[in-house]
Amino acid sequence: MDTLLKEKLDIPTLSIVLLLVIIGLISMYSATYDAGASYYFQRQLLWTGIGLLLMVSVMLVPFRTLQLFSFPVYVVSLAFLLGVLVLGKTVAGAKSWYGFGTMGLQPAEFAKPATLLALAAYLSQRHVNVRRLKDLSIALSIVLLPVALIVAQPDLGTAIIYLGMIIPILYWAGASTFFLLAIVAPAAAVIAALFGTTAFVVVAILTFILFFALRENRFVSAIVFSITVLIGISVQFIYGKLQPYQQKRIVTFLNPEADPLGAGYNVIQSKIAIGSGGIFGKGFLHGTQTQLNFIPAQWTDFIFCVPGEEFGFFGALLILLLLAGLLIRGVQVASMVKNDYASIVAIGIVSTFAVHITVNIGMSMGLLPVIGVPLPFLSYGGSGLFTSMMMVGLLVNMYMNRKEY
Amino acid sequence: MNDIVDTYSRKHVFYIAVGVILLLFITRLVQLQVIYQDVYGKKSEENSVRQIPRDPIRGYMFDHNGGLLVDNRPSYTVTITPVEFDVGTIDDLARILHIDGEFILDRVSKGKVHNRFAPAKIKRDIDFETLSFLEENLDRFPGVNYEIQSKRYYPTQAKAPHLFGYTKEISERQLQETGEPYSQGDLIGASGLEAAYERNLRGEEGVEFITVNAKGQVLGAYNNGKNDVPPQEGNDLFLTLDRDLQAFAESLLTNKHGAVVALDPSNGGVLALASKPDYDPMLFSGVTPSEVWTSLNADSGKPLFNRATLTRYPPGSAFKMVLAAAALQEEIISTSYRVQCTGTFQFGNKIHKDLHVHGSTNAVEAIQKSCNVFFYTVMLKTGLERWVRFAREFGFGSPTGIDIFEENPGLLPSEEYYDRVYGKGRWTQGYLVSLGIGQGEIGVSPIQMAGYAMVLANRGQYHQPHVAASVKNKSSGPMTRLQFPARTLNIKNEVWDILREGLYRCVNVPGGTGGGARVPGVVVGGKTGTAENPHGEDHAWFIGFAPFDNPRIAICVMVENAGFGGTFAAPIAGLCIEKYLYGALVRYRAPRPVAATQPEIPAQE
Repeated sequence: MDTLLKEKLDIPTLSIVLLLVIIGLISMYSATYDAGASYYFQRQLLWTGIGLLLMVSVMLVPFRTLQLFSFPVYVVSLAFLLGVLVLGKTVAGAKSWYGFGTMGLQPAEFAKPATLLALAAYLSQRHVNVRRLKDLSIALSIVLLPVALIVAQPDLGTAIIYLGMIIPILYWAGASTFFLLAIVAPAAAVIAALFGTTAFVVVAILTFILFFALRENRFVSAIVFSITVLIGISVQFIYGKLQPYQQKRIVTFLNPEADPLGAGYNVIQSKIAIGSGGIFGKGFLHGTQTQLNFIPAQWTDFIFCVPGEEFGFFGALLILLLLAGLLIRGVQVASMVKNDYASIVAIGIVSTFAVHITVNIGMSMGLLPVIGVPLPFLSYGGSGLFTSMMMVGLLVNMYMNRKEY
Repeated sequence: MNDIVDTYSRKHVFYIAVGVILLLFITRLVQLQVIYQDVYGKKSEENSVRQIPRDPIRGYMFDHNGGLLVDNRPSYTVTITPVEFDVGTIDDLARILHIDGEFILDRVSKGKVHNRFAPAKIKRDIDFETLSFLEENLDRFPGVNYEIQSKRYYPTQAKAPHLFGYTKEISERQLQETGEPYSQGDLIGASGLEAAYERNLRGEEGVEFITVNAKGQVLGAYNNGKNDVPPQEGNDLFLTLDRDLQAFAESLLTNKHGAVVALDPSNGGVLALASKPDYDPMLFSGVTPSEVWTSLNADSGKPLFNRATLTRYPPGSAFKMVLAAAALQEEIISTSYRVQCTGTFQFGNKIHKDLHVHGSTNAVEAIQKSCNVFFYTVMLKTGLERWVRFAREFGFGSPTGIDIFEENPGLLPSEEYYDRVYGKGRWTQGYLVSLGIGQGEIGVSPIQMAGYAMVLANRGQYHQPHVAASVKNKSSGPMTRLQFPARTLNIKNEVWDILREGLYRCVNVPGGTGGGARVPGVVVGGKTGTAENPHGEDHAWFIGFAPFDNPRIAICVMVENAGFGGTFAAPIAGLCIEKYLYGALVRYRAPRPVAATQPEIPAQE
């Protein structure tokens, strides 16, 4: 029995996730200790319970059924995204919630696994070849459709997650480096152009070298390169035309610390929290930054600074290692499964988690701009936790069926 | 899918990527927590900067001559800073402020979650007695203080409560939904211009920075207040309103139920918009006791209801020009077309009556004398579809878009409407007959009717009615003119000639029904309406404009349950026109006032 269970269940994944969830609950308790801890903590506890149930249910769905229902589930999730624009409750200026009394659901969260499944189902079809422009465009559209609906809410943070996860998936599915570069280069040009002309020139030169090192058709390379440069230049041009207050918004987005008492306030406080934690931390419920809630609503996106402050370097390191372990294990699962669909689903889950983790922790430590993205398993919120747990369920499901073709 | 042949190498790319990011993050952790631990540790220990929001002053409103209409006066708000508050004092405080202890506790704990160092607003606009008592005893109540805020004050006789609207404390729901920086206890525009131009009027919150130690005690201002951002005063609204005309129109409606809307035909600007019964806007400027709310809501005169934009009454004969325009423009009838009015009109077995026997009548005379038989006949010839199409052109059946939110689109009964209400094929052309004279299932509001008067005054030029003309940004200086859409109706000049000839005769030629609107020395054009209604006396309507050839004012007057439009609405319109064009009532100064004030006995409709 024991060995059978070991054979079937993905023990490493499940134990890592369980540990992360427990650390999340401890952080939550501390972060909300003063602001009515019992309320937030109990709700998160309830959601953890439901999340575990969801995870197990997803684990048990027959593999073929999953594959068969990938597209229908995707269509339904699109319908929910469309519906929320009409029926949604407005919170902080964005229509991204379905409200049920004191509960709310964010369809953009649930659409993440749905989009993944549809993308995997499409890419794993025998006749699909992502080296062909047409097939690549269809694959991109599967992701861009929900992105458009999410941008309309507007919820840019979540939209960025979708865009970030598609590159590794396409790479895994065998897309040519050239195509991927053609997608990434203009985006990089936009960001670089906003940072300044020097950054933009560096990116442009890098792009140029990479394009011609790949030895694709010179003509196509030249066109894509020109487009990249053109986009960069027009961004600088548009930036010059913006009102000073709009320019200021972009500057503080890219470099929050330029506005220490405005947009940079949270980041500075977050860095103080983490930094002052030192090697061993200030102890549970003894973090002054956390307990005096210097960071508004810390229990959502800035949750990482709670263990950072109260459990110090070792606490934060443990979380980083657990998260990295989960990602590594995900890549292992994606490589060991025999079925293409399962492999892409697994790598998609890894990518989604990876983007969340990078953006969130990078923001908390002042390495990346402030984008409202939750940290999987730790941040407060039902929709996010449910989605993460379901994705873990999917990953384990793929592992359990690793021998199927 | 072609190949995961090179999965092996791709796998390693992923491993490397995860490794690189992990390494980067660990390096950063070491940097923050090991190398600079003492720096950050000191920062977190010694002090920390907290932000306290500071409320801006709401923008003012001025009339078109720059006269102040909506002003601010100081008001005192009691606040509690959660971190310093002693819960033991809650009962005493509740007694002094005459509010519930539970309420105070709720406000304080909500404020605590948000920002425990920022004063939470507990009670707005306390009276002077409470203020002085509190001030003497502040040391007994740690954390309790008061802030000077502003409340609205209306310095002139132009009260226009439905137009200016009022502000209210932001609700929890609004607080959650808004993406703007509001906090609990802040005021937000709840109706009228206050709501429509909230973003302009509110201004920008300022921030004060204070220093707090690790125990959560406030140490004082951060950096001597050098970093504080003062709140930015709200933008001022410059309205199209004419202060004197507004006040005058309100006074003319005293003890009546009705509305007056006057527009500037050159741009659609609202010169006056009065609705009575109304309420004193000062009632809502501080804290509105619930008794006041209850009594205003229960009042049978519905003082909160803006009759100028929210009513949906049939317009009666004042609507006849729509049908005349449709029939003439579509060449259903010609200018020489005549109907023999015998005083009755039979359709099927139903007999519709006219009040007079007008004899042989053409379009101009039918407008002048308000002949019903003429319009019954023409309605059947023109048909519902054309009538609806032209009525839409004149601005009926949809909101005018006036820049206050509260507006009723009215009702134009189309074929689908009748199909829905009576069932397909279960209604006849006979239902339409009364629409021709503006009766039956048609509903319009005075603002729509004023827009219609403007179109008639302008020979087809329609401007979207609006109250705000420009917004002045007090910090950056410039005045931004607001733009509102305009359009021109596609109707021939000859048709306008006929309609306007009718409107001229209706007021100025004996036998017309609108003589009551005459103004000495000015030619007025207009049309009366008397709308039957099942709840008592008829509603009196008048629409008109002046001077006839170069209109500077277009007006609609509606008086509920008054009687004939010519008797009860037209004189109000005449007085308003006179007041606006002369700046005063000249008829009493005229050498022979009797002649001027004695309007023709209005012919009955």
